[in-house]
Amino acid sequence: MIRSSEFAESFRIAVASLRANLLRSVLTTGGVVVGIFIVVLMGWLIRGLDSVWEQTISIIGRDMIYIDKWNWAGGRNWRLAESRKDVTLDQVMALADRMESPEYVIPMTRQWGGSISYGSKSLRTSIVGTDSDYGATPAGSILDGRFFTSVEDQQSSNVAVVGFGTAKTLFPDESAVGKTIKIRDIPYRVVGVIEKRGFLFMDFIDQQVFIPLRSFRAAFGFQGRSFSAAIKAGNERMLDVVRAEAVGTMRVIRNVPPHKEDDFAVNEMEAFDEQAKSIRFWIWVVGIGLTVLAFIVGSIGIMNIMFVSVTERTKEIGIRKALGARRSSILMQFLVESTFLCLFGALIAMPVAQIVVAAIHTIATSVYDFEAASAVSILIPLDLLGIAIFVSIIVGILAGIIPAFRASRLDPVEALRFE
Amino acid sequence: MAEIIIDIEHLSKVYEMGEEQVFALRDVSLQIGNNEYVAIMGPSGSGKSTLMNMLGCLDTPTSGLYTFKGQNVRTMSDDDLAEIRNREIGFVFQTFNLLPRATALKNVELPLVYSGVSADKRRERAEAALDSVGLGDRKEHKPNELSGGQRQRVAIARALVTSPSIILADEPTGNLDTKTGQEIMAVFEQLWLHGKTVVLVTHEEDVARYARRIIRVRDGLVESDTVTT
Ligand SMILES: Nc1ncnc2c1ncn2[C@@H]1O[C@H](COP(=O)(O)OP(=O)(O)O)[C@@H](O)[C@H]1O
Ligand SMILES: [Mg+2]
Repeated sequence: MIRSSEFAESFRIAVASLRANLLRSVLTTGGVVVGIFIVVLMGWLIRGLDSVWEQTISIIGRDMIYIDKWNWAGGRNWRLAESRKDVTLDQVMALADRMESPEYVIPMTRQWGGSISYGSKSLRTSIVGTDSDYGATPAGSILDGRFFTSVEDQQSSNVAVVGFGTAKTLFPDESAVGKTIKIRDIPYRVVGVIEKRGFLFMDFIDQQVFIPLRSFRAAFGFQGRSFSAAIKAGNERMLDVVRAEAVGTMRVIRNVPPHKEDDFAVNEMEAFDEQAKSIRFWIWVVGIGLTVLAFIVGSIGIMNIMFVSVTERTKEIGIRKALGARRSSILMQFLVESTFLCLFGALIAMPVAQIVVAAIHTIATSVYDFEAASAVSILIPLDLLGIAIFVSIIVGILAGIIPAFRASRLDPVEALRFE
Repeated sequence: MAEIIIDIEHLSKVYEMGEEQVFALRDVSLQIGNNEYVAIMGPSGSGKSTLMNMLGCLDTPTSGLYTFKGQNVRTMSDDDLAEIRNREIGFVFQTFNLLPRATALKNVELPLVYSGVSADKRRERAEAALDSVGLGDRKEHKPNELSGGQRQRVAIARALVTSPSIILADEPTGNLDTKTGQEIMAVFEQLWLHGKTVVLVTHEEDVARYARRIIRVRDGLVESDTVTT
């Protein structure tokens, strides 16, 4: 049974001892400070990643399926994909024709590293040939201007819609709309800029330039090119139905015998989720590793200082025992003290973490200029602070248990004799 | 004899010093009743402190029986002993043994902390105890702001505050000059007159003379046990 009067006394002792040894306390809590700092920062980073990720994916839409020669996810299937026959435009158009369940089936093809220029500026990026339906999907949602029309597609007009990143690079201080850029030295008129969608490793999405398929054919040719079908299911619940129909229809179109595997890939946003998960995982691994290390160092420091404290106060322990302190009273006294030290460390770490978080947030939002960043809080979430406090209490108890136990077992007569 | 508080029979305490055995107490038997005033006398190293630690349940005997108010002390756990010390025994030490950073009041409150008395009641009782030893105006002083005699009064107040059955004082005047020592002895006299049981350890005849019964020990043996008048 622990008496509240004893607990209050333990607390009073801990405060007094902290005040009496302020410098020593600050120094010994170093490891704990670092540990708590990392815990909070890591938690915030993962939260931020998750919410930004969620936003990025939801802009593009979780209801998108891409029928393609290549698997997005799989390095392991690379050879297999290589051996597949290209997906032709006719096959994609046939798919679009026959499928009933999806909202859109949009043909796409892509020239990697196509060169584009504006005045003296030039860059290489991914040039996408597609049709006007792309502009109706969330992925093609326009920030400025408009998407190209089906008429422009039919007429093979030289019009382009540029991604947010490309617009920023080529037209840092002016509107891109109405300007003429060159793609493969062919002049194209920019009619629209797509909203920013990508973040971190998804940045490439914003570098793309979209032109009508026919115009793409004129610029790059269709020879030896594989197409893909971007299928928008309409909503996530339809995904399974649409996927099944897409696969079934595509197998018929490509004459895949019943017992053979698909000779094409079905890509979904989940492939990117894997990537996000692995980043998340590595933040965890590194974060937990560093945290554990910091806490080990921190607890050794605290344990050490608690041993010193027990030795310094041997006489006091003797006095308290003579006056009726039980083992549990002494045990608690020192556990409260070590926990208090750790909490003190957390108290130092949290404002520091908050400052760093605010700095990262400010820099990241200005560099990325990205709306999704607003999903990341500039303040450390309260539950993370709660976790930090919880962790420091646990560390305090673990670091203090051995010294406290030793103190509680001191023989009162011996302890009283100690000078 | 009045109600028996302390009853020890054939008590021995042996310290193992490597190969050698030191007999601090050999086969000591004695009884102390309520409201007695006893001095334990003997030269240095005779076993007085060992005996007092035993009586105060700070230490346990190697052999023999110790009954405190009818309870067998030898079979008690550490926590039971702590409880007995807290409720039944008030210690006064030669070197005062006050907590240096705590005020007189906080020092006196300390035993009550371990008996779970609320803060208000603690303060009330500690103030009363300090008043009773004439230190009502020194409550907020720290030990280093007090004279030796005043420190010992604080220690006595601390011993009294739980209303224990017995006050055990080990050389309480050992660190005080003669005059202050006499003042402290006057305090013990008052306690005894007010019904307390006092056991005093000393090697000075002058101090022992205050008591009404003198137990002389030598080499861990009780030499004599005489009631004075
Ligand atoms: N912890 C101990 N270890 C070994 N010997 C001890 C210990 N405590 C006391 N003694 C020995 O026991 C004997 C009695 O000691 P003590 O009771 O302190 O004597 P006094 O208080 O009468 O001077 C002495 O010989 C002393 O050296
Ligand atoms: Mg002694």
